[in-house]
Amino acid sequence: MVVLIMLTNFLIVLALGIAGPQDLRTSGPQDSKSPGPRVVRITAERFAYTPSEIVVEKGTVIEFHLTSDDTDHGFRIVGTTVNAEIPKRRRGETVVTYTADIEGEFVIECSRPCGAGHTAMRARLVVK
Amino acid sequence: MISINRFHVFVSWNLAFLLVLLAIPAQAQPREGAPTLSGYMEVHLNKIEDRPAEADLHRFVLMVGHSFSDRIKFWSEVEVEHALVEGEEEGGEVAVEQAYIDLLLHRRLNVRAGMVLVPVGIINERHEPPTFHGVERTFVDTVIVPTTWRDVGVGAFGDLGRGVSFKAYVTPGLDATGFTAEEGIAGGRQQGSHADASAPAMTGRIEWRRGGLTAGASGWFGGSGFGLARLDIDAPTVGVGSLDARFRRDRLELRGQWSTVSISNAGDLNQALQARSGINPNIASRLLGAYGEAAMRVSPNAWTHELVAFGRYELFDTQKRMPDGYVPLAFLQRSALTGGLTYFPDPDVAFKFDVIKEHNKSSVVHAPWRVNAGVGWWF
Repeated sequence: MVVLIMLTNFLIVLALGIAGPQDLRTSGPQDSKSPGPRVVRITAERFAYTPSEIVVEKGTVIEFHLTSDDTDHGFRIVGTTVNAEIPKRRRGETVVTYTADIEGEFVIECSRPCGAGHTAMRARLVVK
Repeated sequence: MISINRFHVFVSWNLAFLLVLLAIPAQAQPREGAPTLSGYMEVHLNKIEDRPAEADLHRFVLMVGHSFSDRIKFWSEVEVEHALVEGEEEGGEVAVEQAYIDLLLHRRLNVRAGMVLVPVGIINERHEPPTFHGVERTFVDTVIVPTTWRDVGVGAFGDLGRGVSFKAYVTPGLDATGFTAEEGIAGGRQQGSHADASAPAMTGRIEWRRGGLTAGASGWFGGSGFGLARLDIDAPTVGVGSLDARFRRDRLELRGQWSTVSISNAGDLNQALQARSGINPNIASRLLGAYGEAAMRVSPNAWTHELVAFGRYELFDTQKRMPDGYVPLAFLQRSALTGGLTYFPDPDVAFKFDVIKEHNKSSVVHAPWRVNAGVGWWF
């Protein structure tokens, strides 16, 4: 029994290890020598972001253009100071500039309650 | 083989270990603050041919959420239906439709436990009034996929990348003693209230998004026989399958859904229920529903408010295939044509109007006209 519990505990640790800790570091100042910002257009809709995965090189300045197809949503990059509100459908867009100067995987989550699947409304930013 | 007691010890230890691990990063991260409050309401005026018009505060729903940390989140939905609940009289309903904890482990694999929505079809998980056209939910999402379908459950969900996401839960099964010819399995939902979990069910959904297109395949499979324990029949097994798609670009919105329900041993079930009540329930072995809907924003681009016209055709046949010895009731082999308007003074407020002409295969029972008006909002 003890061996079985330990084995299962190991698998849990392994699973969390694969998941990796969330990076709590915030972005640094924008590097003036870097090329122009990379524009990333993201559409929010109950209960997903499209695209749901953004991959950039370290040091990239990202200009997120955020729109919604329905209600207002949030756009929070967990572990950073980015936490913007996306206006409702046809009410314009929010532009967020973020310098991806730290490698890692960052969770993007909706920070404004938007309905039954709100807690699972997430995307991923990968900085290589 | 692990005995029951050992199994409990095994589960308890591992659950405690998992919670401790999750608690460590939770303590290291700031709390997000106070619980959030949101909700939706819908008020309807329904006129069915040859019946008096009826005004109804159909749904009053409050949602409370809370983030214990970036990895542990709570969400709930409490609903009052038809405005008034009275003891021992037919009236409204107070129900917990959702109350679950999400453990967000990884983008690809997260855990959800509590009262969950069965992830079948479009409407069951996306039922806020501004998200669909028509005053009432579709017939398919009423008598084939019985929304709002929820139960206590545990499972996983995640985003697999490339626009693909999934959900999979284990929940208690259905109670076949509540099945009917007219509304299929709707009356068999246990809804998380002292639910008999001896016949568990599996339910899941896989969804793909690209551009303005969302396509999904979903299903539910499980037992439904515990209510028949004293009757000498094989427990019916129920399977629900559904395919759906939504598309939105500029002024145009399209959506469609195909759903089917199969009930094994429906003949034995009918005999058992008839022996108990004296009435043949005429439950089918297969139900079928499908609809296609097109909607177009007809208001000028310069308007921030929107006027949308829509049309929908539905098939909803709760007697699609009968067990041997049973004849389908033709008036329950139905279809409906719906046309209407939705006016959005704000994307979260929808004034709705529609006209529905039902059809059925009966030469005796008349299928009525329906005229509906209503307003629904989300905050």
